[in-house]
Amino acid sequence: MNRSIHARYHALSLVIVLTLMASLAVVSSAVFAAPLTFDFKDPKGVNNVQFKLDAALESITGTGTGISGQVSFDPSQPAATTGRIELATKSLTVGNPMMADHLQGATWLDTAQHPTITFEVISLANVRTQANVTTAEVTGYLTVKGTKKQVKVPVSLTHLADKLGARVNKPQLKGDLLVLRTQFEINRSDYGINPGQGTDKAAEIIQLSLSIAGAAPQS
Amino acid sequence: MFRRRFRAAALSVLLVGVGTWFVTGAHRGWTQTSTFTLQRDEITGIDYPVRRRTFVAGVEIPLAAAVLATVLVIASFFPRRRHGPRS
Repeated sequence: MNRSIHARYHALSLVIVLTLMASLAVVSSAVFAAPLTFDFKDPKGVNNVQFKLDAALESITGTGTGISGQVSFDPSQPAATTGRIELATKSLTVGNPMMADHLQGATWLDTAQHPTITFEVISLANVRTQANVTTAEVTGYLTVKGTKKQVKVPVSLTHLADKLGARVNKPQLKGDLLVLRTQFEINRSDYGINPGQGTDKAAEIIQLSLSIAGAAPQS
Repeated sequence: MFRRRFRAAALSVLLVGVGTWFVTGAHRGWTQTSTFTLQRDEITGIDYPVRRRTFVAGVEIPLAAAVLATVLVIASFFPRRRHGPRS
């Protein structure tokens, strides 16, 4: 009888110890998980920025696809996200060839002297996570045409765990994806883009919409 | 004969200008040599632009045609210089 009680006691102790160890492992992996570094140079060429300026005759809508950069994101600590995104200004274009030339020219973006537009993350605020989607207000430095300004933009980050292989049609490739979306406005005069000129032809406010995906392959 | 030719040319220019504009979609903006459509990436859900080369005549095409046609019609009213026999 005593032996049976002892055996049960030992078995129960073993179960408790194993459960505690497993819990500790889960908690520690969540707490001490290293942030993932996502590379935003997209081999599929899907990453894009769209911009829109109101104008007298029609809205000027353009696109840019030359996106690169890295973002460090930890799904368990999204508030600690850091990173830098770059856009090659030469990739910006519009449908009208004359407007496209003006856009690249010295008066507007001066792409010869300023080949990139950059956004560098400083901090995240109002971070909310629901399932795999995190929304936050990101404060960062936006540099356009050599002018660096601190801006605050709303961002959504969608963490797609183990979806890299499916995206590039290589199931053997393991890794995560991070989809970053934001929409915000800038005043072109603030960045020396033909400041105060041609406002009858193109609005001062530029509406920007960014949708990009980064990949973090597992080594 | 001279006046008729100028007026016929004016009408042709106007018809070609307006016709081109109409056939390429009667776009009420500036001329476009490329347009984009949005497609969705299946895995990420990102809508991305796919740009293709095309010609969409803008309002400046029929407008320029109208200006040229007007010039031709006005020119048709000018008297033709006659070359008489030299004395």
